[in-house]
Amino acid sequence: MELTIARHPVADIQFGEKTRLDDTTLIINEGELRAHLLEDDRLVGADLEIVHPGEAARAGSVFDIIEPRAKAPGGSPDFPGIVGDVATAGHGTTHVLEGAAITVLNELSAEERGGRQDRILEMSGPASEHSHYATLHHLIIVSRTREELAPHVRMNAGRRASMRAAVYLARVGIGEAPTSSETFGPIGPTEPGREGLSRVAYVGQIYSRQRSPEVDEQIIYGVNTNGMMPLLLHPNEWLDGAIAPAYVLSLGGQETYFYQNHPVICDLYRRHQAHELNFVGTVATIAATDNADRDRNCHAAANFAKWGLGADAAVLTKFGGGVPHMDMAVTANILEGKGVKTAVMVSDMSGDRRVESALLFNFPDVDAVVYCGGDDTKWELPAIGRAIAGDPVTARTLAASGEVGAATIIGVTNQQGATHIQSIIY
Amino acid sequence: MRIVHYINQFFAGIGGEEVAGAPLEERSRAVGPGRLLEQLMGEGAEVVSTLVCGDNHAVENEDEVVAAVIEKVRSAKGDLFVAGPCFEAGRYGMISGAVCAAVEAELGIPAVTGMHVENPGVDLYREALYIVDSGQNASEMKNVIEKMAALALKRLTGEPIGKPAEAGYLARGLIKDAFVEKRAGERLVDMLMAKVSGEPFETEMPASSFEATPMPAAVGDISKSKVMVITDGGLVPKGNPDGIRGMAATNWGTYSIEGRGNLESEDYEISHGGYDTRFVEEDPNRLVPLDALRELEEEGAIGELHNEFISTSGLANPLSNTRRMGKEMAEKVKAEGVDAVILTST
Amino acid sequence: MVQVTSALPIAKMIGSNRTVLGHGIVHVAGDPSLLPEEEKNLRRKLVKQAMTALESEEKE
Repeated sequence: MELTIARHPVADIQFGEKTRLDDTTLIINEGELRAHLLEDDRLVGADLEIVHPGEAARAGSVFDIIEPRAKAPGGSPDFPGIVGDVATAGHGTTHVLEGAAITVLNELSAEERGGRQDRILEMSGPASEHSHYATLHHLIIVSRTREELAPHVRMNAGRRASMRAAVYLARVGIGEAPTSSETFGPIGPTEPGREGLSRVAYVGQIYSRQRSPEVDEQIIYGVNTNGMMPLLLHPNEWLDGAIAPAYVLSLGGQETYFYQNHPVICDLYRRHQAHELNFVGTVATIAATDNADRDRNCHAAANFAKWGLGADAAVLTKFGGGVPHMDMAVTANILEGKGVKTAVMVSDMSGDRRVESALLFNFPDVDAVVYCGGDDTKWELPAIGRAIAGDPVTARTLAASGEVGAATIIGVTNQQGATHIQSIIY
Repeated sequence: MRIVHYINQFFAGIGGEEVAGAPLEERSRAVGPGRLLEQLMGEGAEVVSTLVCGDNHAVENEDEVVAAVIEKVRSAKGDLFVAGPCFEAGRYGMISGAVCAAVEAELGIPAVTGMHVENPGVDLYREALYIVDSGQNASEMKNVIEKMAALALKRLTGEPIGKPAEAGYLARGLIKDAFVEKRAGERLVDMLMAKVSGEPFETEMPASSFEATPMPAAVGDISKSKVMVITDGGLVPKGNPDGIRGMAATNWGTYSIEGRGNLESEDYEISHGGYDTRFVEEDPNRLVPLDALRELEEEGAIGELHNEFISTSGLANPLSNTRRMGKEMAEKVKAEGVDAVILTST
Repeated sequence: MVQVTSALPIAKMIGSNRTVLGHGIVHVAGDPSLLPEEEKNLRRKLVKQAMTALESEEKE
């Protein structure tokens, strides 16, 4: 399976007459885009705003960030199960508007969604220096849905609208010559010419069932992980739209942009191409809420890596809070028992920043741990002129100055590889 | 720079165990390992006072010795306090830890000591102090003093201390954020490849280990026992009267179940941010199994159900909190004459 | 004390001596997929398991 990422750099976004790419300026016809989104009759409106790097602007709370991408004809579908039909993602050519992002904000206040404060996009100042998202030009969308709809349906409408917008905009790249392109794959357990290299698999949790997903929460190929067992995925499927974020980002979840540029998968690809290792494939799994599920999933994930992919080494990441640590560690321990060497990634959850409280796991063979942080990194954000939010209460909160933790600024902390903050033991 | 150095009778050259009862005395110059320390601290550094004390005298009169040391350091106008290194000597390690911690706290000047990782002083003071890893062998004195001097200079100049392994001190068990050049994803693959190829690698977080808890004796006959329920699933009466936080809770509550055959959903709510609470909100017996317990009580299978349950929220909670709350709950359980506890955990 | 939990590996890791496996993190002493009577029976069985563990000298 081969995926070509065709990159079209974007250095500016403006509203204008015709949606097109004028050199590196993305011009968007606001009315046409809105009409396109309103084809979904759950929507009654859509607020559209543009923010630029370095601008004194702040937006929140962020529901998702998406890199505008569209599939050229002949390849796999766009976001299968959400925008396109369900078919294996990850082959053909994907046109990418590099440097641009679609940021969709929660339409409902934290209170209406159940009391959780999610993350904010900060475009300037010291806090922004540590978020890749502050370097992008954003089209910000707030979908306005029919009020009588249940909150989860309104979030589903927001998800679909933002992905449709991402595809709609990136279609300007189809037929244009990309500035650069990169081909991912073919890789797999039987690729020839890789003898003697370590056979490395990635085992990643895509959800934690500590929170029961909504019936329409489209996490993998348009479904919500109910009844899910671990799945063998080609790495291109992660990069090309098979996996979407949960509705609640604050529970250790990731953005679509994260999956599109998955740091662990991209790093494994890079080293595969440099012949440092043989990247044999990936397993997508979930963190369970009871023991039978945990045992079953952990064994199945390990078996896929060992017997399906023939891995002799694996990296593992987790999703969500404390219990998923255990699912990941048990999987790693089973792998070690099968002779597959592992390294795992976790985030610090000690609370008081003391090692004795940083309960993890104690399997002697699971001894290679990358430790992400963010709990004691804080910034004093200034009051700001341009605060963009889905509701007036959030807008007022955002406009005011105040101290925020690193985890609040989207793009700074991450427990699946996209962060520079390490928790260091002193 | 004025240095005050604390050493025991042995390193002062007075003698061994036979003089371990020697009281604190002061010499106005460098003695024993202090001479090397003085050299290594560079131009202008001077050990202005060496405090010598027998190890037995020191640990048997700790408060008095600590107070006396603080006074000596104060009157010597010390800029830096150094104790040891103590290697494996347990009593020496404990008093060195105590005087260093007290000098830092009282006088606000840096203190540095050195011990072997298994010295009991390490357990007591590793979090409070920079303790240089001295190893076991006193013949390594020069090497150890070099590390102590380097660490002391960093502390005096305010230079970053660095990680334990790099700077040669025993990890204090404190966690701090740092922005590092390599992203976590890249570090993960780096670490894996080092492990695969048999190269040395340093985990960013060592495995947790917990001391075994002794197995408590069995309850003789539960049909004659008083049973109580505790939960860490955050079940509280509507309105959360004790304000128990849903994350890193610092308190717990006791709630009456007197006269209740089961728990009704309209009377309770959940304060816990770590699991989907809808099922327990719908039926609190799914967390605190009161309906089943009451039946078994009526049937005589349980002697008596204590007429209240204890609840807190067990999520992302520092051990210092949970240890304290556990002790408090145990006292409460004992005071109520409870024989057995069923703890339901989410 | 006996700990009824669905995160058994964690309980064992921290040194809990008497443990009983619960019916899921989100409903440790219940199962909403059962009829109310069945669910209560399930809960009775769980409590009885806990009682047996309390009377036992065996580490479990």
